[in-house]
Amino acid sequence: MIISSLPILFVDLIGSFLMIILSFLSLGIVFKLRKQDHNNLIWTYLWWICLSLSCFAVSRSAGHILKNFLFMAGHEPFWAKIRPFSGAINTFMFIVVGAVTLFFERIWKIYQLVRKDRQALQSAHKELLFLNQNLERLVEQRTKALSVSEYKYRKIFEVSKDMILVTEKDGTIVNLNPSGYSLLGLDRETDKIEHRNAREFMVEPEKWFDTMASIQKERSISNVELEIIASDGVVKRVLLSGSMAEKSENEVQTFHFLLKDIEQRKRMEEQLTQADKLASIGELSSGVAHEINNPLGVILGYTQLLLRGEKDSSARYADLKTIEKHVRSCKTIVEDLLSFSRKSETEKKRLDIHHIIDDVLTFVQHHSNIEHIAIEKEYDPEVQPILVDEKKIKQVLINLVVNAIHAVGKKGRIQIATGLSKPAGDLMIKVKDDGHGIVKKHLKNIFDPFFTTKPTGEGTGLGLSVSYGIIKNHGGHIFVESKPGAGAVFTITLPAATVSQEN
Amino acid sequence: MNSNNLRLSFFTVSLTGLLLSADPVLATQTHGQPEGLYVHQMAHIFFIISMGSLDFWLRQRNLIKEKGWKYIQLSAVLFILWNINAAAVHFLDEHLDILGISIIDLWHIRVESIEGQDSISIVYYLLKLDHLLCVPAMFFLYYGLKTILKNTTSDNGNRVHP
Repeated sequence: MIISSLPILFVDLIGSFLMIILSFLSLGIVFKLRKQDHNNLIWTYLWWICLSLSCFAVSRSAGHILKNFLFMAGHEPFWAKIRPFSGAINTFMFIVVGAVTLFFERIWKIYQLVRKDRQALQSAHKELLFLNQNLERLVEQRTKALSVSEYKYRKIFEVSKDMILVTEKDGTIVNLNPSGYSLLGLDRETDKIEHRNAREFMVEPEKWFDTMASIQKERSISNVELEIIASDGVVKRVLLSGSMAEKSENEVQTFHFLLKDIEQRKRMEEQLTQADKLASIGELSSGVAHEINNPLGVILGYTQLLLRGEKDSSARYADLKTIEKHVRSCKTIVEDLLSFSRKSETEKKRLDIHHIIDDVLTFVQHHSNIEHIAIEKEYDPEVQPILVDEKKIKQVLINLVVNAIHAVGKKGRIQIATGLSKPAGDLMIKVKDDGHGIVKKHLKNIFDPFFTTKPTGEGTGLGLSVSYGIIKNHGGHIFVESKPGAGAVFTITLPAATVSQEN
Repeated sequence: MNSNNLRLSFFTVSLTGLLLSADPVLATQTHGQPEGLYVHQMAHIFFIISMGSLDFWLRQRNLIKEKGWKYIQLSAVLFILWNINAAAVHFLDEHLDILGISIIDLWHIRVESIEGQDSISIVYYLLKLDHLLCVPAMFFLYYGLKTILKNTTSDNGNRVHP
């Protein structure tokens, strides 16, 4: 079969040229790619592929072109000589191209790793660059934020109405907020609290040690009731919560406490309890007094009837007089009980309290031996006339002044002061003495009927009870503050509304 | 003289003796014409395997989703086909004695099949036009690279894969 070799010749020659041209064009493109990113491993890989393909194309195509030209020129023997050499180069280039191509997967993996590392490095570099360029600003921002945060927490510390205390493990005070200074009766400027021990301010140091031990064991403690003693000796009840702060290696272990002053609340509770108790006693007393009052009236009436028929000198007359005297005493007690239970009637008039006090003092001075007792008056001129039952208020004031005289003994000082409470504007009357004071355990019973510390026969124990009843009947309050050995202060408050009631 | 020096001297003497007494049978093996052919055929097979591997990994790494690499993959496939073609021509030329090829003149050749089957002669003739496969293969490689360059330039030089 004879076939035209022209197509084969044509395709071979043109194809060979195109192979060389295309391979070098490819090489040129990869060269550009490498120029863009010289470190890109993929471009390097493609560079080697194209380079080996170019060598392959040159070796093969050159061989083909040469072969065809030699054949056309009739130099076949010459081609026979160079043919093995051309074939060997061709085979070798085949193998090189194949070998380089085989590395694609490995090269790709390495490229991915390099790319990942490069991205991480770039990211780190960017971050470092940013930090370097903005360090000053960032430090400033951070400092500002810290300063704001510090200010916020410092403000909480400063303005807290509760005492905030920071101590070391042994109770040494590290920090105390202004409320703490105030609660402990200390001056922030003059009294240096740091390095003093918190137990100094505890009424019962053992309880403080127990609290510290509990915190160390449990890490925190809540609502423990303690008594603290202020620098002026005033004892206050507080509710303590505390915790142990986490410390780093070089930090001192600190304990943080929050102490809430509950003295006022406790007093209120006690006063309410006492008021309830006295109200109950009053109800009972009222019932008993009413039941006894009528028979006593009958006994007194019949006694006085019998006295009319007896001669003054007779023994029966003397006996009847004794009965009459004791019946009258009983009636006085019954009336006092009725006053205490607020069942007695009052006749209120608008009066100047200062005149009433003056009358009482005059009466007391005439009836008592108070030569060595200084009585001081401190009247507030702004106090307006008030609506009161003169007789009953006088009775209250006499009771308080007489009690004060008994407390100071033969020599001492009694102060009577008036004023207006803020902001309610209620009238306040204070009767203060520098006598022996009242022990704490008696304070809660002092307004109870028949409670007395005087020897039997010297007092009925109804004076303060009656006073309590009268003041309550006027819508006011009476309370006492005292420390043994430091005198006592009885304070009466009468509501300002009493004036408007009359209108 | 220590034992190490003794060992070295013995080795030198033995090697010299061996080289001086060399016989032709101990020389390197000679390589005749068929070996070259086998190596060339093996090189074709190796080329096919490596291009097949490139095609596989391009698919595996999803690179063929990008146009440039897609063309390179196409180039690899065409190179495989070209290698098969070339290997087949060599096979027909050198291994099988079924074709007789002779040059009549510059523009004509005679292809004779021993069994008288012209179809084999036609196949051989067509296979001889192997540049119709390798040139497109090279073109797609070029075009693929050009596309990658274009994409890389537009993406500021960092994009080589999807």
